[in-house]
Amino acid sequence: MSPPEGLHVRLSQEAPIPLEAELSCAAGEILALVGPSGGGKSTVLRSVAGSYRPAVGRVEVEGETWFDSEAGISLPAHRRRVGMVFQSYALFPHMTALGNVMAAMGHMPAPERDERGRALLELVHLAGLEERRPAELSGGQQQRVAVARALARQPRVLLLDEPFSAVDKATRQRLTREIADLRRVLSMPVVLVTHDLDEARMLADRMTVLHRGRTLQTGTPEEVTTRPVSAEVARLVELRNLFEGRVAGHDPAAGRTMLAWAGLTIEAAPRPELAIGESVSWVLPDGYVVLHRRDRPSRGEHENPVKGTVEAALAIGQTAHIALRPLSDPSLPIHFSVPLHVAQRNGLAPGVEAAVSLLAEGIHLMPPAGRRDERG
Amino acid sequence: MAPARTSARAIDGAGRRHRGLPGTAPTFDPEDMDAGNKQLGTRLPILPEPSGGEPGGRALSRRSLLRAVAIAPALALAAALPALAQEPPLVAAASDLQFALPDIAESFRAETGQVVRLTFGSSGNFARQIRQGAPFQLYMSADEAYVLDLARDGFTRGEGVLYAVGRIVLIVPHGSPLEPDGSLDDVAAALDEGRVSRFAIANPEHAPYGRRAAEALSHKGLWAAIEPHLVFGENVSQAAQFATSGSAEGGIVAYSLALSPRVSALGAFALIPQDWHAPLNQRMVLLKNAGPAAARFYDYLQTPAARAIFREYGFVLPGEGG
Amino acid sequence: MDWTALWLSLRLAGVTILFLLPLGIWAGRLLAYRDFPGKGLAEALVALPLVLPPTVFGYYLLVAFGAASPLGQLWQSVFGTPLVFTFEGLVAASILFNIPFAVQPMQRGFEAIPAEVREAAACCGMSPWQALAKVELPLAWPGILTGMVLSFAHTLGEFGIVLMVGGSIPGETRTVAIAIYDRVQAFDDAAAAEMSSLLLAISLAAIALTFAFSRRIGRRLG
Repeated sequence: MSPPEGLHVRLSQEAPIPLEAELSCAAGEILALVGPSGGGKSTVLRSVAGSYRPAVGRVEVEGETWFDSEAGISLPAHRRRVGMVFQSYALFPHMTALGNVMAAMGHMPAPERDERGRALLELVHLAGLEERRPAELSGGQQQRVAVARALARQPRVLLLDEPFSAVDKATRQRLTREIADLRRVLSMPVVLVTHDLDEARMLADRMTVLHRGRTLQTGTPEEVTTRPVSAEVARLVELRNLFEGRVAGHDPAAGRTMLAWAGLTIEAAPRPELAIGESVSWVLPDGYVVLHRRDRPSRGEHENPVKGTVEAALAIGQTAHIALRPLSDPSLPIHFSVPLHVAQRNGLAPGVEAAVSLLAEGIHLMPPAGRRDERG
Repeated sequence: MAPARTSARAIDGAGRRHRGLPGTAPTFDPEDMDAGNKQLGTRLPILPEPSGGEPGGRALSRRSLLRAVAIAPALALAAALPALAQEPPLVAAASDLQFALPDIAESFRAETGQVVRLTFGSSGNFARQIRQGAPFQLYMSADEAYVLDLARDGFTRGEGVLYAVGRIVLIVPHGSPLEPDGSLDDVAAALDEGRVSRFAIANPEHAPYGRRAAEALSHKGLWAAIEPHLVFGENVSQAAQFATSGSAEGGIVAYSLALSPRVSALGAFALIPQDWHAPLNQRMVLLKNAGPAAARFYDYLQTPAARAIFREYGFVLPGEGG
Repeated sequence: MDWTALWLSLRLAGVTILFLLPLGIWAGRLLAYRDFPGKGLAEALVALPLVLPPTVFGYYLLVAFGAASPLGQLWQSVFGTPLVFTFEGLVAASILFNIPFAVQPMQRGFEAIPAEVREAAACCGMSPWQALAKVELPLAWPGILTGMVLSFAHTLGEFGIVLMVGGSIPGETRTVAIAIYDRVQAFDDAAAAEMSSLLLAISLAAIALTFAFSRRIGRRLG
């Protein structure tokens, strides 16, 4: 049952762009749409905005039906109250910043537009720059004008298409914070398309993974990035410790399910419904790999210990990224990171032997690669 | 007073410009400015032309409506123009009349106040255009065969009348290695000696003077030798222009052109014997839609005053010896 | 200087661009924005008058609306005159052979507008006509103006087609270009020179203007 408020989208088509997507976003919620480039994210956004018309589907916003292929309804873009911030900002180059914002106020009486436009520009911290043309504004400032223009429409849904991809990192961080601040003002569903998972984690309440036009998983960012429903999603959310294994047994008393992997027996969170002998994929976020420290041994070393040889140790900033090849199956590297000083103190370097523990609570089981977990 | 003449006469010099009444042609002269405006004013659809037959009248008012629609935007730019009357009749004249006819038309205007519009070209070309509905009212051909064909096919009022007999001349520009020798002996010699690279005549396909030039050259036995060197003008006037431009050693053109002050200043010429080619019986005829003004001019062309001018330009008049 | 011929030429060029302005905007916009089967053929047809010898074009125009053609006879029966040898016939021919000069620069002008800007206009609530007026035309106007200037100048200079379709009828179809030809044949070099230098000056001005506008197309959207 779809509640009347919020955004509900269901799209389906085979060509020219394959789509099999479904997503919802409640008022005041930010939904991140993530996936690799070319995955159809922008198409989904444009379908909501009305500049793209898929073969089959429905788009409903706050109880209004904007698109319904079965009923033959397809509201043209200019009749949808949608605010869109484009990847390239798409500001009108011949208008000033204020002019751009006011261009979206056709629905308001003329005398109010100037005042409201200035108020919006102030909201995005651009007071004083109203008369500048886009060419005279920096990337970050242009982006803010684009946001103000999208809001000027008093939209029922706000769509942001990779809004930070065109600016440098420092600006991106600042803008991300500002969007986060703006949240208090935003009372409509917001869909944010991004390929940057950190951005998604920072800004979004919920996240949908889209690949080749198909929605693969929807959930909180934490859920999706630690408990993906399939190996495919795991790869898309950049989980590197992705392996195949076989269910070896269950231990209800200890609350564990055992996996045979790499010649070892691994204890994982219980999944009693899986049959013994069944093939599974499993994934372990980097954070659940704990180094056995020579300088500070701990009890945790008893949990799923794996001995191996360091294959690569890459220092990036103050973090060392390690790839460890288990002795029992050198074909499977385990990835993890430790602070640089810990790596140095433990003498981690290529060729050195080391051991890690794989924390059972982080081990997440999925159907073998190629199948999607309907239970997920 | 309906003006509008070709500018053929207007630019020659102050003297010519002011010969006769103002409004001879659109010029900058303030006296003439009004006439210039009147010229433009003839575009306004005020009075239908007095042409014969009801279909013509009805068609003309529709045509005027069409003109108004087509011109309305441009009229917004034009100054307020006084409404004016008819367009002067259009005469299609063979190019050999390039200088003779404007003189006659001038004298016609002096006598009657009526102006005619002259267009010059090759007789054959005009015959084709007339068949396609070109709005000429009087056709003055250099070859009566065209006139008779048109008459037979119903485009004319009768078979018209012979107005002059033309002659061809050899013309050589100043500085040419050729001699102005009407017997073409020198041309023959020059061909042998390689003194000739280019020789201009009108296009024999559709220009009577070109055809006669070709006949004369054949008669002299020079055709094969000279053909690779020939340059064809679209009409005899263009041929004369080529022949005197300095890029050809000479050419065969109309006597009437060679006699004109402009052309005679550019070189020397000599008559070619008349019996070397078919006669240039120049015939004129009124076309089906000709109006009274055109008819008056047609009559005028046969008066002694006009004939005197023809004679001046070397034409032989019908009934008189050559 | 044949002022009748000059006025005729200016009128012909003026009426031509009056028709070509909406036609060019429509066609240029269509070709810029949409992809459709047969678009390559459409663009080739638009460009055809550029490469076709004027006499070939003139020949086919005569075939199409000469006195013997169905179109010509229809015209004759409605208006009482043939379409050829008239100013109206020249206007028709002129509109046709100026199509590439009008459409191509306008197409470039519209192409220079990023697709996202047009989508943004719709997302701002502008109807297609509003978007055209407030966003597209202000951005594409250098291309539109270039198309108009080129068509105007080209019409002033067109010779072969005008001669074939119009003849050389003073006051009706004898444009400046034809008048120059006529003056040369009449050994009137002074007049020919005068009119030629005027046309040269106009052509140079037109080219200079179009280059200036082309630079603006780039700058505006930079």
